[in-house]
Amino acid sequence: MPSENLKPRQQLGAELVIPVVAVVFTFYYFSTIWSSTWLAKISAFFIGGILLAVCSVFFLRCFLIYKRGEGTLGFATLFNRNDITSGRIGLLVTTVGYTVFIDKLGFTLATFLFLSLSMAILGRGKRLVLITTISLLMSLGGWAVFIYAFETRFPRGLFEDFMKAALANG
Amino acid sequence: MDNTASLLLEVFIETIGYWYVIIPTIFLGLIVGGIPGFSAANTIIILMPLTLSMNLETGLVFMVSLYCSARMGAGIPAILVNIPGTAGAAATPLDGYPMAKAGRGQEALAISFVASCLGGLLTTILALITMPILARVGFYMHSVEMVVVMLFGISLIASIAAQDMLKGLIAGFFGLMIGFIGTDSIWATPRGTFGVLELYDGVPLIPALVGLFAVSEAFIIIEKSSIIAKEGITEVKKPSWEATFVGVRVALTRWWHIVWTSIIGLVIGVIPGAGASIASFVAYQQSRSFSKTPELYGTGHPEGLIAPESANNGVTSGTLVPLLVLGIPGGATAAIMLVVMQFHGVSFGPSLFEDQPKVGYGMFMAMAVSYLVMFLTILPLSRYMSRVTTIPTIYLAPVIIAFTLVGGFVPREYMFDMYLALGFGVLGYIARRTGYHVAAILIGVILGPLLETYFLRALKKSDEDITTLFSSNIGNVLWVMLALSLIVPPLMDWQRKKKGLAA
Repeated sequence: MPSENLKPRQQLGAELVIPVVAVVFTFYYFSTIWSSTWLAKISAFFIGGILLAVCSVFFLRCFLIYKRGEGTLGFATLFNRNDITSGRIGLLVTTVGYTVFIDKLGFTLATFLFLSLSMAILGRGKRLVLITTISLLMSLGGWAVFIYAFETRFPRGLFEDFMKAALANG
Repeated sequence: MDNTASLLLEVFIETIGYWYVIIPTIFLGLIVGGIPGFSAANTIIILMPLTLSMNLETGLVFMVSLYCSARMGAGIPAILVNIPGTAGAAATPLDGYPMAKAGRGQEALAISFVASCLGGLLTTILALITMPILARVGFYMHSVEMVVVMLFGISLIASIAAQDMLKGLIAGFFGLMIGFIGTDSIWATPRGTFGVLELYDGVPLIPALVGLFAVSEAFIIIEKSSIIAKEGITEVKKPSWEATFVGVRVALTRWWHIVWTSIIGLVIGVIPGAGASIASFVAYQQSRSFSKTPELYGTGHPEGLIAPESANNGVTSGTLVPLLVLGIPGGATAAIMLVVMQFHGVSFGPSLFEDQPKVGYGMFMAMAVSYLVMFLTILPLSRYMSRVTTIPTIYLAPVIIAFTLVGGFVPREYMFDMYLALGFGVLGYIARRTGYHVAAILIGVILGPLLETYFLRALKKSDEDITTLFSSNIGNVLWVMLALSLIVPPLMDWQRKKKGLAA
């Protein structure tokens, strides 16, 4: 998907991230199959070889664009001031926190905290009552539908255990 | 023949009598299909005790209706928020989402519903008529032929991302390398796993889907106050049936497009393991290759939405053919159906239509009736569903992240899968911001293990002789078709440009 922001000069640094990661990963993958039998490594060498060739062509193209002065080695399409003002960095931090703490807190509690914090960050601290209400409804609704009704295997914690005990005791 | 016709009519009427099972199941299917990680297969497993306690006919109608509606439901979030509910709907947002972003979500949903229902209904009837012939397709597809089919899927990567073919190829082949992670299928040697035990079985598909599409999209949409522009919001909030009727008309006037793309889905669905994801991309690529306006694809072109939706519903009918005639399930849901039906004493295979013809025909009739009922019940919903696009992104983005990330956890119950989904989210975000195609990465991840399995099997069978890939007649025909599919589109583009310059 092309970037929606039209830049006067191509941000080659950002565009090179994925090919560089792909090349590094391919060499790492090759290192793990180096001592395997021919049959075990042929498909990876075949596909990895094509990937390395395509990446080389891409690097060459970037070099030519850079030489013509049509591109810079910048990363503006990936990281810019907008990431801070839009709350994207904050959302990333809360998302990492959600992934880490959901195992300890369980789905309902972690989801409530994640939704409240993320919405508050994105909404710049406005409409906190509405945000708390939405977060509460979504997390309790999620618990009711997925955990209580369908018994889906979501991470369980304090709230889920409490509700299970409460419902079991009538 | 008369006996078969009267039996079909009898089964059809009996199936309609199960409307009270079909209608609620359709709505359940639409919901579960729309949530990544919560597929029809998982739902049938979760509701297994309920399904087993039902009588044979009710259980059959329930499973088939759920299967069809979940397939259609996966397209709804794909269109509205660029998040496919299942990998089978990964090609749907290519043109569906640009329509929603332009305030044409209601029209896009109506097009998708009509294409899905008609595609599904048509292929159900076709599968019923051509079952003996179609069943043989599975017999002829050996490892060599499957390698070519997989490579055919990979060739689509470059075509889909034709705006920059080089980036499309990098994304697709990088996806394939990621798909190769895990132990190899013959010697079980771990490869590219970073020493992580959870990756020994390969990269799980749901976390990859969730990360690449949902998480990355959530981080993108927060740049705007809502998914659609302000003018679009007024349009969507206007209470009118007009957009639905426009969508229905747009889809019906392209009836021939629905017919041939759904047949692509039917044929691919018959091949065990090929699945809806490949079918929808093949249909999309073929649709664009033969279109008079290929430059409109990816910008919200109705034909780019019709093709994958008709095809993935065509797959639904196709997967029943090897299940019923050969006893070979074509996919995960079909495999679960097999288990449930065997519990009820049904033995699938060639004798099914002699011993229990009502069961055999009943599955197709349940599918046909489900599509008919869906067509009538779901169309009015398009008017209300499209309002999702007007929800402010400060509320929508965190909800998407929370519910899809935890969906990545569900299939295997590993916390690692949530981290993996987050990792794929970062990769997807970088890809979106720098012009790489997330769908190309995903199709690579899907095809990687399949390609390797068939490739190794073909080599193993031929004593490691690589020329075996050109040893089968069907395979060779497929090779020619593959080469043509790679050469013809650029040639046609070149010709069009030449004509444009001459004019």
